[in-house]
Amino acid sequence: MTAATPEPAIQVTDVTKRYGGILAVDRVSLTAAAGEVFGFLGPNGAGKSTIVKLVLGLASATSGNIQVLGRPAGSLEVRARIGYLPETFRFHEWLTAAQLLQFHARLARVPARRRAGRTAELLDLVGLGARANERLSTFSKGMMQRVGLAQALIGDPQLVILDEPTSALDPIGRREVRDLIRGLRRQGVTVFLNSHLLSEVERVCDRVAIINRGRVVAQGALSELLETQEVDVRAGPGAAEAARRALSAEAAASAGAAAASGEDAGRSGEAAAHDVQVTADGRLRIRAASDAQVAAVVRRLVEAGVPVYDVRPVGDSLEDLFVRVAETGDA
Amino acid sequence: MSAHLIAGFTLREAFQRRIVLAAALLTVGFLALFGLGVWLGYRDLQSDPTTSPEVAASLIGVLLAGGLWSLNFIASMLAIFLSVGSLSGELDQGTLHAIAARPVRRSEIVLGKFAGFTLMLAVFIGVSASAMIVTVAVITGRLVATSWLAPPLMLAASMTLVGLAMAGSSRIGTLANGVMVFTLFSTALVAGVLEQVAVLLDNALLFDIGVFSGVVLPTRALWSMASAQLSDGGAFTEVQAGTTGALIAPSGWTLLVGALHLAVTLGIALRAFGRRDF
Repeated sequence: MTAATPEPAIQVTDVTKRYGGILAVDRVSLTAAAGEVFGFLGPNGAGKSTIVKLVLGLASATSGNIQVLGRPAGSLEVRARIGYLPETFRFHEWLTAAQLLQFHARLARVPARRRAGRTAELLDLVGLGARANERLSTFSKGMMQRVGLAQALIGDPQLVILDEPTSALDPIGRREVRDLIRGLRRQGVTVFLNSHLLSEVERVCDRVAIINRGRVVAQGALSELLETQEVDVRAGPGAAEAARRALSAEAAASAGAAAASGEDAGRSGEAAAHDVQVTADGRLRIRAASDAQVAAVVRRLVEAGVPVYDVRPVGDSLEDLFVRVAETGDA
Repeated sequence: MSAHLIAGFTLREAFQRRIVLAAALLTVGFLALFGLGVWLGYRDLQSDPTTSPEVAASLIGVLLAGGLWSLNFIASMLAIFLSVGSLSGELDQGTLHAIAARPVRRSEIVLGKFAGFTLMLAVFIGVSASAMIVTVAVITGRLVATSWLAPPLMLAASMTLVGLAMAGSSRIGTLANGVMVFTLFSTALVAGVLEQVAVLLDNALLFDIGVFSGVVLPTRALWSMASAQLSDGGAFTEVQAGTTGALIAPSGWTLLVGALHLAVTLGIALRAFGRRDF
């Protein structure tokens, strides 16, 4: 007997969106599992906000299918179970913070007996409990973003879509939001996090998708996506050639093993020229497919008699991945 | 249904942004001025031995028509200002996104806002027009029974403007919509005057142009119908009418045209806003 797989919180299948002659989203498919924190990344104009609007039903897809919490995107039943913080976090400034939350509580069909308590609880959570009765027109950008977060949570949602939730917050505020997101995950709430802050995404997200020019170019668990990593190697003379040979041999061995087991062989046995580069200070920059491949290449270097002094991972891997995607359109 | 929440929110906005307070204060001043004018005018007419009490009362009736015309104009401006950016403005500012992501139908947003605006205008026109009618009745001791039909007809005229402005606001930007609605409103106003002039000149073509304008935007025709309720004869004489009254009372078709106009413009607003990408 196998356990039933819970339905995804968001299932976007082959979705295209055109605005007149402009192709904003091109056959995008992505899946955010229930209960996970899903990061959605991409350069400006890549199509992130369009996808968010499609998922919320604020815009309609030209083609394709979007299911949210097991129902068609945009249906009233689905929207009753979603919380949303818009990127602009603009609200009616003539309201007080408490009035805004009470209004959204009514729209979200929160029972009357719970509205006041839930409002106070959430304003305390975002650090605005003492300013509940002040008008939003007196709030700073950061405070508006905080009240926007509280607004997103007012209906006890199963899915929270946060569009740049910390763009106006100071480092302390960002940490608080990260804690809040982790708390939501512990409660089983799915969080769809659209953010430019890669460090933030890396710290809280279980899985990410990267979109570029309207297409999803990478998607998966962070650990999987970052498996293709670079290492900096300080080694003796002849290391570059030896490393290329080692990488080719290792890739060929992997391809052979895959072919024998009937799996997709993946990369060819030839190491690409850009997989091994010599930096200005004489170090080797090796781009391997996995941690295991890094270890194998180092072992082959040692076996070939090349002294290896130092091996260390290079920089912020998610940032590197993001930049590579933004520049080349390929993960 | 969340339309009542949106309607309540719309009303609350008018209160909290002091739109209602400003309108109320200005209306009190307007009514005081009107009452003073009627009292002074009627006193002078009564003291003039050449003016019979009937003629005096009739002339005061014209003063009432003038006052209500001003009120109708103010209500029209209020209707346009309230609704011209009601959808497009909120979309531009981004204030509607969080609301539209809630379990609220787009139609409920449109109808809720329309209901809120209508209620505001109904209170404004109802209270102000009633106060003016009562003022004239008290001062002159004379009341045309059908006068009470004028405020609902004035409200109908303002509702057609709200419908038109919301239809525009669902498709185009606030500025462009404002220009469109004001242009149509002014055209209908001028065409309505031409219609009255056509009666004087007995010019059929000019009259037809006026009638056609009443179909495109029936605000002036509905006002003419309202003003006709202020006269015993169902219409004013040439001297009485000026540009604010009606030489001939519009037919009952005007009401039907008004209702159809509202249905069409609201239908456009519902359809366009329902399909619009945010």
